[in-house]
Amino acid sequence: MSTQNLIETHNLTKVYSKVRCVDSVNMQVPSGTIYGFLGPNGAGKSTTLKMILGLAKPTAGNITLFGTPVNEKNRIKLLKQTGSLIESPSYYGHLTGEENLQIIQTLKGCSEKDIDKVLKIVRLEEARKKLVNHYSLGMKQRLGLAAALLGFPKLLILDEPTNGLDPAGIQEMRELICSLPSEYGITVVVSSHLLSEIDQMADHVGIIRKGELVYQNTLESLHSHAKQQIALRVSHTAIALDLLRQDGITATQEDDYLLLPLVDDNYVANLCRQLVSQNISLYRVEKREKSLEDIFLSLTGKESSL
Amino acid sequence: MITLQMEYRKIKRKKIGLTMCAMMSIQFAWLLWASKNPSEKELLQGWLYNLHTQPLLCAIMMPTVISVLASRLADIEHKGNTYKQLKTLRTAGALYHAKVLCGFLFILAMTVADYLFLLALGYGHGYVGNPDLKAYLLSFVLQTACCLSLYLLQLDLSLLFFNQMIPLVVGLCGSMLGVILMYLKTYSFLPWGGFLSSAIVMMDWNPATRIVTYYYRDFSSVELFALCMIAVWIVLFYTAGRILFTRKEG
Repeated sequence: MSTQNLIETHNLTKVYSKVRCVDSVNMQVPSGTIYGFLGPNGAGKSTTLKMILGLAKPTAGNITLFGTPVNEKNRIKLLKQTGSLIESPSYYGHLTGEENLQIIQTLKGCSEKDIDKVLKIVRLEEARKKLVNHYSLGMKQRLGLAAALLGFPKLLILDEPTNGLDPAGIQEMRELICSLPSEYGITVVVSSHLLSEIDQMADHVGIIRKGELVYQNTLESLHSHAKQQIALRVSHTAIALDLLRQDGITATQEDDYLLLPLVDDNYVANLCRQLVSQNISLYRVEKREKSLEDIFLSLTGKESSL
Repeated sequence: MITLQMEYRKIKRKKIGLTMCAMMSIQFAWLLWASKNPSEKELLQGWLYNLHTQPLLCAIMMPTVISVLASRLADIEHKGNTYKQLKTLRTAGALYHAKVLCGFLFILAMTVADYLFLLALGYGHGYVGNPDLKAYLLSFVLQTACCLSLYLLQLDLSLLFFNQMIPLVVGLCGSMLGVILMYLKTYSFLPWGGFLSSAIVMMDWNPATRIVTYYYRDFSSVELFALCMIAVWIVLFYTAGRILFTRKEG
């Protein structure tokens, strides 16, 4: 096993009433990264994260945290180095923000000074004496993040942390998450069903679909899958295809378009001249790029939401 | 110990102690009213009268009081969705134990207050002689055990159900059952019948002379079995609650 990975799961599986919600997931979260855990709603993201945190019992497979296989005996000890925010923030509404953090701080056994630090990080210093019931959703979410940050754990697991936030809140949360590895050395696992969100935050990505981890690598590598093509729309597709074949170019037909690999501008100009000289009308020449959305959809299925 | 301390920190501003005091004061007022202007014969049997009346009042009042207590302790966690966080910091077993202990200490305080009130009432009215402290202590232990069995049941329900109406209705039904059981038998195998099963003083009312006589109960084998059922309920509700709470996924 690699010591660089803070989380490793081996064939992690969860079955609820004969449905495999998580199916043999082998997740690897490298140290010092922001790992984006991406997937459509109901794909199994939360269940996977809950299993890692011991909130759900795996049907099969095992989990390694910080290089140590997790069992019932060492679970709490290992999780002391972890902070989490699963789905919605946990809080006692009748207590103030500060009192909420004091409870978590005592249970975590970390320094009381951390409360001031985390309140400053999430910008809740002024609302510390306010009852949490009077907080806005964004403030509650930030309080949840503050609680997760107490003790400055090595690993932070955030499940859909921007859910229910307004655009400004999303931006603020995103900036905060992005700063954690560089400023505090915290490895972050952040789940989302929004590709754009993960694209802006993560450097590693895992894509889960119907319980199966269909992709796992760096975001850079995912971007490299973005394929560029030239699309042609002409009056006589068959003749144009012949021409391309003579030039040794393999083109595919999609709807009314001919799709050919990215070729240089001179070849495109020549091709256009040849087509026109053979009385073929040239309607469109486009450069197409397979976007991250396309890649995501091809991995997760067209029916998935973005 | 820290987990238990946190239980008390969590209930700050919830006024649970005040609520319990208010509910107990109803019981005290009832007892005061029931024992007002005692006759000479009543003064003679006053200390026994206390031990007879107290379980009856408990059978009516305590199921409701305990359901409110358990519900308030569990509801703060449901409302704030906090178990998914707490279970990453402490084992589910430790969290369950903290809830049990926290509520039990409230119950213990209430029962102690209850028996101190009985003694104060006796001395205040000038009951003849001195109380049989051994009998009072035995009664105290048995009534506390009954309260614990009911508390475990109510806590289990309150932790399992998000909607606290369910355990509260069970508590209210338990109080009603307490009244019904009073008119049926002096013992019962049901958890709510424990107060009456464990009453150590019984009453004999002679319809001809209309004289009431209190006497120490000589437990029959069936009654002893009913008494043992309190221990069975405690073990059963504790084990079931712990298992269900531990297995419950966040």
